[in-house]
Amino acid sequence: MTSLRSVFASATALATLSFTIPTASWAEQPIPVVATFSILGDMVERIGGEHIALTTLVGPEGDAHVYQPTPKAARSVAEADLLFMNGLEFEGWLERLAEAASFDGAMVVATTGVSPIAFEEHEDDDHDEHDEHAGHDEHDEHDEHAGHDEHDEHAGHDHGTFDPHAWQSLDNAVIYANNIAAGLAQADPANASEYYTNRAAFVAEIVALKSDIDAMMAALPADKRTVVTPHDAFGYFAEAYDLTFEAPQGMSTESEVSAADVAALITQIRRESISAVFIESITDNRMMEQIANETGATIGGTLYSDALSGETGPASTYLDMMRHNATTLSEALGS
Amino acid sequence: MIWDLMLAPFADFGFMRRALLGCIAVSVGATPVGVFLMLRHMSLTGDAMAHAILPGAAIGYLVSGLSLGAMTIGGLVAGMIVALASGFVARVTSLREDASLAAFYLISLALGVLIVSTHGNNVDLMHVLFGTVLALDDTALILLCSFASLSVLVLALLFRPLVLECADPQFLRSVSKLSGVTHFTFLALVVMNLVGGFHALGTLMAVGIMILPGAAARFWAESIAGLIAVAALIAMFSSLIGLLLSFHYSLPSGPAIILVAGVGYGLSLIFGPVGGAIAQNLPRRKFET
Amino acid sequence: MSAALVFKNLTLGYDRLPAVQQLDTEIQEGSLTAIVGPNGAGKSTLLKGVTGALSPLEGQVHIDGFRDEEIAYLPQQSEIDRSFPICVVDLVAMGLWHEIGAFGRLRPAMPARLDAAIAAVGLTGFEKRSIGSLSGGQMQRALFARLLLQDAQLVLLDEPFAAIDTKTMADLIDVIKGWHSEGRTVLAVLHDNNTVGAHFPQTMMLARELVAHGPTAKVLTSENQFRARQMCEACAGTPHVCGKTAA
Repeated sequence: MTSLRSVFASATALATLSFTIPTASWAEQPIPVVATFSILGDMVERIGGEHIALTTLVGPEGDAHVYQPTPKAARSVAEADLLFMNGLEFEGWLERLAEAASFDGAMVVATTGVSPIAFEEHEDDDHDEHDEHAGHDEHDEHDEHAGHDEHDEHAGHDHGTFDPHAWQSLDNAVIYANNIAAGLAQADPANASEYYTNRAAFVAEIVALKSDIDAMMAALPADKRTVVTPHDAFGYFAEAYDLTFEAPQGMSTESEVSAADVAALITQIRRESISAVFIESITDNRMMEQIANETGATIGGTLYSDALSGETGPASTYLDMMRHNATTLSEALGS
Repeated sequence: MIWDLMLAPFADFGFMRRALLGCIAVSVGATPVGVFLMLRHMSLTGDAMAHAILPGAAIGYLVSGLSLGAMTIGGLVAGMIVALASGFVARVTSLREDASLAAFYLISLALGVLIVSTHGNNVDLMHVLFGTVLALDDTALILLCSFASLSVLVLALLFRPLVLECADPQFLRSVSKLSGVTHFTFLALVVMNLVGGFHALGTLMAVGIMILPGAAARFWAESIAGLIAVAALIAMFSSLIGLLLSFHYSLPSGPAIILVAGVGYGLSLIFGPVGGAIAQNLPRRKFET
Repeated sequence: MSAALVFKNLTLGYDRLPAVQQLDTEIQEGSLTAIVGPNGAGKSTLLKGVTGALSPLEGQVHIDGFRDEEIAYLPQQSEIDRSFPICVVDLVAMGLWHEIGAFGRLRPAMPARLDAAIAAVGLTGFEKRSIGSLSGGQMQRALFARLLLQDAQLVLLDEPFAAIDTKTMADLIDVIKGWHSEGRTVLAVLHDNNTVGAHFPQTMMLARELVAHGPTAKVLTSENQFRARQMCEACAGTPHVCGKTAA
């Protein structure tokens, strides 16, 4: 029977139902997250999948060392629930940006738990004379730092006291993935299991890639294990594979080189008969070309250090980037 | 000992020789222009110009990506436009040159930042555009030498009208129609030397080599020819010493060269015979009638 | 003698405020004329109208028979940068521009002419002095030497003797008389009526409008001077057409 009461009841039921519908779709709404740069962004995307709406601040081919935040960036940060950063003082501009944007979400530092490599000075005039400084040759094991041994009294003219490019080691990439997954799971517990599944898949790929790269690097002859690049970005890769990376420029693209640095590098290249030098995607490569010209070395290829390439490039994802770098090195040095 | 200290670095390393050659080219081409800038009380133009070229470089980047050629050409065009526009405004309105240049370079810089922010790729364009004296490739050397030659030639040709334009512009306007042409050609020379310098040497070095030696020369010479000669010599000498310091003491090259020039300026200030601090305060022993 | 300069109903001014109003008169070729009048009478403005620096607000300036390069102008305040490192002979040599232009070389006779001009103004021995080291009088002499070399047929001088010593003034008046004797037309704005009376045959008295123009003795009367002052005071502050005062 159609009494007023039943009409009311159905109406109330309908209304209640209508309230649940938006809530139900709310659960489907991706959570807004921000990653500071492309490499990190790629990892976050792998693990977050379709549950996140990702904004990357420093895009492909961008240089995070000299990034200048825009109002658009500030907005993204303000609206984000999660902010993924590298840490190790890579993003010198982030603290102010987060403050300015009144960021009230959670920050995930991807390098939490990573054993950082200490920054070392390139102050030598003569590599021949200063054996104590030759940190490239020694691999002392210290308590806090694995690998490079230098404890410099001088503050580096570059960022921070540690090399921030930790992602160059695949082992560290696993740590990154763990931190990312944990951060996402905490912010969005409803989808935690998916995040962990994605993480596992990602890590599996990392491990597979690692064995390939291990093989490639192991195949390099002992006298071809010095790599010359524009800036000091590959410390972790060097450590992982017992290579030596030399660069005229320090750890930040903002520093300026001295003639002594260039001369030392040229001398070393000549002395060790290094046959190939490498350029990077984000730096001015004229210096490297000059060095190659003068020493007769060839440009072995482009390495990707701080950023992914564009979508059509050879390093559009983190894994592609690592594979590309390793392949380029192995082809140039192995030949 | 002298060999090791002063000559060996250049004998052993090609990049040092090229750096020195590049510096000599800039010393010859840019210092005369800088002397005139100083005499016209426009010494800060160089710095303003460094900012003014940004939109040109940005557009060059948008069109051709990270191509140094495209960005340099873009920078040249932007610099010329700013120089010409400010010169034009200064002649046609009551606004003086320094104010109109300030206005235009600021507008240009803002435009450049706008373009880079909306379309750019987070690559610090200026960072990529500005080189270092230690990385002079053949193209850069040829560029520097060509600009220097062109600069010297044009300056020699324009010498008389330019002197007049600086000393008594009213008179020049009354006897010749060349006043405008002279003015703008001079500004074009400034832009050319600066942009070429930025591309090859970075902002600090390009502007520094243009202005500092000229300022120092003021204390040694009284005629224009003398000023130019002394300035060029100071520039070359500073380059040599600066490069050697960079080599032996691991100092960044650009700043080293400019600081040596700065020391030269300081010494000239104190010891220079023309209006230097000591010369000014020496008791005069006899009068000249 | 024909008229060298004809002013027809000429009104000249700045920002549309007239400084010279409805001037109707002629300057004869070869004359030596002083322009006098109270302050603000429009004298400098008139010269600027002759050089073309100011366009007439009304009426016209008709210059008969002089090409641009035959007119020389000495402004009241020169824009010369005294700190610029050139010496006296460089400054004076600028007067030869009309002969050698921007690129021509100094021809053999020219150094002698330079020396002669410098001697004519009494600056022999000062050739290599920088212009920054000259006194006001010496600077003015140098500028006159430059004028000499310009060899102009029409010479316009705006307050050439302001703030210089009497000896210099006397020497420079000799130079002016030299021009006059060569048949050049000279127009000089002056503020010292004694000088005008002593050396200038013709005078034009301005008080925004023309007060009188003719032989000096007839123009420089106390009545005319009184009228001139009255006209200027009456016109002070009123930018529109100012009727002549009752004589």
